[in-house]
Amino acid sequence: GCFLLLWYNSQLCESNECSFIFNTYLFPLQGAGQDVGRSCILVSIGGKNIMLDCGMHMGYNDDRRFPDFSYITQNGRLTEFLDCVIISHFHLDHCGALPYMSEMVGYDGPIYMTHPTKAICPILLEDFRKITVDKKGETNFFTSQMIKDCMKKVIPLNLHQTVQVDDELEIKAYYAGHVLGAAMVHIKVGSESVVYTGDYNMTPDRHLGAAWIDKCRPDILISESTYATTIRDSKRCRERDFLKKVHESIERGGKVLIPVFALGRAQELCILLETFWERMNLKAPIYFSTGLTEKANHYYKLFITWTNQKIRKTFVQRNMFEFKHIKAFDRSYADNPGPMVVFATPGMLHAGQSLQIFKKWAGNEKNMVIMPGYCVQGTIGHKILNGQRKLEMEGRATVRKLSFTFTLTFFLLCNLDVKLQVEYMSFSAHADAKGIMQLIRMAEPRNMLLVHGEAVKMEFLKGKIEQEFSINCYMPANGETTTVTTNPSVPVDISLNLLKREMALGGPLPDPKKPRTMHGTLIMKENSLKLVSSEQALKELGLNEHQLRFTCRVQLQDPHSDPDTLHRIYTHLKSVLKGYTIQHLPDGTVMVESIVIKVSSSAEDPNTKVLLLSWSYQVTFLRC
Amino acid sequence: MEEDLDNILDDWFIESIKIYKDLHVYQLENPTQVLEWTSGRNVCVAGYTSSSKNEILELHLPLKLLADKNKGLCAERDFKVVHGGFADGPVRRLRHIPGTRCAVTNDGHSSSLQVWDLGGDDSDVIRRTGSVEGGRTGSVRGSRIAARPSSQPQVLHGAQSDDVRLTEITSGRTVYKLEVDSSDALSSLQFVTDSIVVAGCCKGSILVADIRSPAAPQVCCPPASSAESVLWWTDASASSSRLIRLSSCGQAVVSELRMLGGGAVCQAQLDIQMRGSDSEDVVVSWAPALDDCIAVSGFSGAVQIYNTSLWKSDLQETTPLFQHRGHMVSSQQPDGVLTTAHAWHPERPRTLLSAASDGSVHVWDWVNQSAAESGSADPPT
Repeated sequence: GCFLLLWYNSQLCESNECSFIFNTYLFPLQGAGQDVGRSCILVSIGGKNIMLDCGMHMGYNDDRRFPDFSYITQNGRLTEFLDCVIISHFHLDHCGALPYMSEMVGYDGPIYMTHPTKAICPILLEDFRKITVDKKGETNFFTSQMIKDCMKKVIPLNLHQTVQVDDELEIKAYYAGHVLGAAMVHIKVGSESVVYTGDYNMTPDRHLGAAWIDKCRPDILISESTYATTIRDSKRCRERDFLKKVHESIERGGKVLIPVFALGRAQELCILLETFWERMNLKAPIYFSTGLTEKANHYYKLFITWTNQKIRKTFVQRNMFEFKHIKAFDRSYADNPGPMVVFATPGMLHAGQSLQIFKKWAGNEKNMVIMPGYCVQGTIGHKILNGQRKLEMEGRATVRKLSFTFTLTFFLLCNLDVKLQVEYMSFSAHADAKGIMQLIRMAEPRNMLLVHGEAVKMEFLKGKIEQEFSINCYMPANGETTTVTTNPSVPVDISLNLLKREMALGGPLPDPKKPRTMHGTLIMKENSLKLVSSEQALKELGLNEHQLRFTCRVQLQDPHSDPDTLHRIYTHLKSVLKGYTIQHLPDGTVMVESIVIKVSSSAEDPNTKVLLLSWSYQVTFLRC
Repeated sequence: MEEDLDNILDDWFIESIKIYKDLHVYQLENPTQVLEWTSGRNVCVAGYTSSSKNEILELHLPLKLLADKNKGLCAERDFKVVHGGFADGPVRRLRHIPGTRCAVTNDGHSSSLQVWDLGGDDSDVIRRTGSVEGGRTGSVRGSRIAARPSSQPQVLHGAQSDDVRLTEITSGRTVYKLEVDSSDALSSLQFVTDSIVVAGCCKGSILVADIRSPAAPQVCCPPASSAESVLWWTDASASSSRLIRLSSCGQAVVSELRMLGGGAVCQAQLDIQMRGSDSEDVVVSWAPALDDCIAVSGFSGAVQIYNTSLWKSDLQETTPLFQHRGHMVSSQQPDGVLTTAHAWHPERPRTLLSAASDGSVHVWDWVNQSAAESGSADPPT
């Protein structure tokens, strides 16, 4: 994985075509190759600069975990350079650098995200801050207050609602599946538009629907492509393996710990286990951390429209998340004999209830811990997923007051042998190659841009997209600039008078299939363009008409007097320019159509004649 | 309706917990009749639609399936598309030439072959590099293809018994031709050793030839059958030197390769009936790492495993040892779906890949119930 910073620019060219320039900056990173940490994309469209996602890389402990914002500005606040920031969903690799960007680098402009993302994002950021600062003791990290201040800048988005960021920039969110509140976003300035997908999922699951977008035909579709070269195993097989593991452990009398984040995957797995217990008539108790149930239910009630149809339907009759087999957990239950399943937070085993239970159960090989998601470095979850079987645990910090006035703190370090079975399962819902094709079919973009975290080979996919849809597909690599040519249609109003005048000038009748040159003045005013006659333009704009004439001096040797020379020129022109109006005027000038010719002698040498020619700019135009 | 389907699926997946060790279900954009190993980890699939462009894909098996140690810590269960290419016509057959990155394909209605470079580490594109002309022009049947490792890449190919030839791919030179008088349509063509070739005819007869000698092949008559105009499919096992012939009526006959004239070793009446009209879908194959077992697909939406060691010398009805119903169960049209191909994993005894007409590809590793019940596990492989 790595960061991606992408610059997108558009400008109107002379040929009435648009040129989109991409500069991508990829900072190669080493790491465990996990599907984390990359997204931060900068788009410049029609003069507006938009930041898409503000993710962090989880594999780094220093400044490299955040995108390099000095790319935007070396000094000063980002507010001047960005029109808005849009966050696609609450995963830290898409929003983890947000408080750093807004509060530490400095950005006061609007930040857009959906309602569920707005609700969940600060919880995850706070969790992550705790691990980084409180557990690992890092400094130079954002504070709780910064997270709060950052979230104050957030403007919530509703699905399919067009939001006017300013007079010219509008954005619209579409459902992306993936996680609760995930959105794709359509960004439009004038006739130019871009769709950014974030992470999305084209197949519905137990609690979320499939991504959907209308035929919005953007100039460019920017799609995530982490799974572009895969064919995804079915969700049901993932669930089957989960149930199989839980069942195996229960059968042998073991206890199963499932560390989860309070929202999302936890509900999905609860629905699954509930169904399984019902069908298999299982008796072993299932527990869910107390408090969490209420919190989760609260959120799901708020965001029920973001779940799939089935859940929305059943929610009317009963709360899908009030379970028959799943009961609230009490910490004393952990010592009960016999098999049980416990869902506990937090998901990465770094603190709290899940870690307490883990410590109790780790020594028995009959037990099992199932990690249903990714764990950040420095957590117990990360260690056991990397196969570590001996853990150095920080025991309870004992604070004792001695007889005098000072306090002693004891940190007990003890070793923990991990004997229980560790299972890692990925339930993440991403679009694979087929999903990307489906989305292109839906949105019908004019160009496709695949952003990828690593230098994967995707020549075949590029060929496939270009063949099937006859569009260009770009996969800019580290630091590469891609120029995309588009053909925006710019509507112009033409005044009726002007049209009538053009008709009166004669020539063939207008043919809609053939372009025809017209003369007029183009006025750009308040986001609209109109073509009017120059007289009308002068009148509307309150300007005086100015005449522009070109002059030219030609020297020649001629011994005759000035009037004679002029007359000789007149007769000569008469003989060579047949069919033109040539006049010898009494004021001592010759006129060929509108071109004026005068003759004068040089002061030093009367034989050297100076011809003065003068013509209007229209003549130049016509002769061209 | 959709809910019913969901419930049936849920039931089957719950049942599958007991009967499969591993189960992976994938959906290709187009169905495949090709499931060809290019190594123990990679497999090729290809589309066979007549209209549009078809794809040839080389897929890397999911890491979770391949993991021996710490399987639980491996969450990766997707196919990875390692190489891909486009074919102008349908791809009915694809044969990888062992020891090379070369594959040959046939479109199912001409005798010519297309030659492909499967691509290396530096590229993810499969490119067409040439073609091999067949012995017969204007043929309506596609060629069967067989390959073996050799210093020069060679393929044995032909649609009928009298046009079978061994062609050197780079030069296009014919290095061997099967000398027979009959012109029977072929259902299979394979090498059982480096030099011994077995050709199975649709009418049930078998030709065995040694490509080192110009002598006419040994011919073996079709098995006695109650029905007329049945079709036969054949597979020979190199390790056990046995041959299985399966008819469109479900009659299965096992013979000793070295004593083809000596009659059946054992036989059975399988519980299958030819349903579709496309005989190209039917595959019968010996398990490479599980003694006496065969897999049968293409008669319905199921893949069946039979243990031939339980069969008798006279024709008796038999039931499958195991049946993979996944394609039928997970399909939108359970009656309409037909298995189009299957392939045993070359080393793992009970791991198979199977494909169906709805574009599904399943990877499964079934649990040996008798061993599970008696408490004895499989010997380590």
